[in-house]
Amino acid sequence: MNIETRDVSITLSHKEIVKNASLKVQEKEFVGLLGPNGSGKTTLLKSIYRVLKPSNGVILIDGEDIKTMSYRDTARRMGVVSQFNNLSFDFTVEEMVLMGRAPHKKAFDRDTEEDYRIAEDALRRVDMLDFRDRSFLTLSGGERQRIILARALAQQVEIMILDEPTNHLDIKYQIQIMDVVKSLGVGVLAALHDLNLTLMYCTYVYVLKDGRIVAEGPTEQIITEKLINDVYEVECSVARNPKSGKLNVTFFSKV
Amino acid sequence: MKKHLNPKHAILSLAIIIFIASFVLSILTAVTIGAVKVSLSDVYRIVLYQVSFGKVKIGEEAFLSSGTMYEIVWNLRMPRVLMGAIIGVLLAMCGVVMQATVQNPLADPYILGISSGASLGATFSIMIGASAVFTGVLATMGTAFWAFIGALGAMSLVLLLSHMGGGKVTSAKLVLAGCVIGSLCSAFTNMMIYIGKDAENMKSVTYWLLGSMVSARWYKLLLPGICAVAGLLFFLTQLRTLNTLLLGDEAAMTLGVDLAKWQRIYMIMTSLLSAVAVCTCGIVGFVGLMIPHIVRGFAGSDHRFFLPIASLSGGIFLIWADVLARVIIPNTEIPLGVITSAIGAPIFVYMMVRKSYGFGGND
Repeated sequence: MNIETRDVSITLSHKEIVKNASLKVQEKEFVGLLGPNGSGKTTLLKSIYRVLKPSNGVILIDGEDIKTMSYRDTARRMGVVSQFNNLSFDFTVEEMVLMGRAPHKKAFDRDTEEDYRIAEDALRRVDMLDFRDRSFLTLSGGERQRIILARALAQQVEIMILDEPTNHLDIKYQIQIMDVVKSLGVGVLAALHDLNLTLMYCTYVYVLKDGRIVAEGPTEQIITEKLINDVYEVECSVARNPKSGKLNVTFFSKV
Repeated sequence: MKKHLNPKHAILSLAIIIFIASFVLSILTAVTIGAVKVSLSDVYRIVLYQVSFGKVKIGEEAFLSSGTMYEIVWNLRMPRVLMGAIIGVLLAMCGVVMQATVQNPLADPYILGISSGASLGATFSIMIGASAVFTGVLATMGTAFWAFIGALGAMSLVLLLSHMGGGKVTSAKLVLAGCVIGSLCSAFTNMMIYIGKDAENMKSVTYWLLGSMVSARWYKLLLPGICAVAGLLFFLTQLRTLNTLLLGDEAAMTLGVDLAKWQRIYMIMTSLLSAVAVCTCGIVGFVGLMIPHIVRGFAGSDHRFFLPIASLSGGIFLIWADVLARVIIPNTEIPLGVITSAIGAPIFVYMMVRKSYGFGGND
């Protein structure tokens, strides 16, 4: 299953936030979306998961325009872990994760043992099984983030959209979450701040600046000292770490 | 983690059964209480005779199907108790669904302006005498009819207002629009009362605004009864969507809910249902707000349990509030709205000061 945006532009309050963005996530590909704050990453992702409507362009899943699909249809194929998860009402952790089964359910379907097994499995994968009877609102930001990921896992989708999935997380869980997502073997489109995480997990990246895609390609070819300087306006060195064999970005302070 | 082993679900399922039993028991007990002393055996013999369509006859047929006792028990008290049950179910159910729809635990027919619209309609009808315009059936239903029109008008304005200025309808916009329309309606209502001259009319307006079950008769049960049953049946098919809505706009959409569509359907349905409740027996405050809060406190936010328990609780609460209204001061009827607010306010304060209060949290 692949997902694609073609010439997508998004206007919010008369301001064009995303301009003619075309990107594609091939089947089972882990794609990163980079760019500084305010470059339009979240806005572009929101249009892909249908919370915002693009003013121009189309978004396709397997070549099919998402506008013609029901929300249930897209929810069965695409899971989302977004940045804001504030609730006015409380649920237990287990109830939260079981909601991931909603798109697979008809009005009168009950939660089956299968659903509970899927939810339990999802909680185990994010290392939160012991929390299943806790109330969601008593959890820390990082714990909530892992529950939301578990909910998306319970959705059993073939495409994951992640918006800063590692926000609020300490390094152990940053790596855990990225490992979990990578191990799913599904198509992933992730907006990321951390360039080193990007280098560790993404095979392909798109770089947004001022709402435009200014660069795209295999991660190691795109993340260069020059591009980082152009896009993020910081000095850095990009070098291969002899132990991991991966490229590594080290930033320089101005003082 | 298997379903049949989930102790919380088992307890809540049991709670639903207990609440159904309490609901029926409340009706049967409340019908024995009133200003006129009627012995228990007389009450139940009459009720039994009537509900069995005359098959269970204990005593004189003349006593069981005519006369003062029969009139009091079967034609005054029974419809009144049932009316309390029905209106309570309607208001609590509307509160539950509205709170999920606007994702705001403070939503109820009051906050969203519907009650104020109904008050305006009723006041207009009583003070200006709009009911005089109509003849026949409409003349007898005058006040209720205009209350309904007022409720619908207020609801349409609230929905219109929250759609204005582009952008999507947010819960904040709905609640704000509700407050605006609500105060506007109250202003007009108060103006009409202020310039009104007829003392008798003013008394009936006050009476209406404070809510009452006094006028309950069998034929008046029909519409709210059908609405309560139909509404409950409909929303029982929507439990999963209601749960998902509580997660917020974005999460609901990514979990496959067509948010705009369902929000519109739920808003229109709850507005119609609460308009029916309000136009039947005036403004009975606090039920739609308080009952869902209290029930959420012990049953949680999962609508599979929350919606049925809250609806039943609303019915039980109003049955007993109405019993209080008619017996607390001998030979005097206290307006129902006064009772519900007098009970509701301290309970709310208690819930606010209680540390653990978190809209359904367990800890």
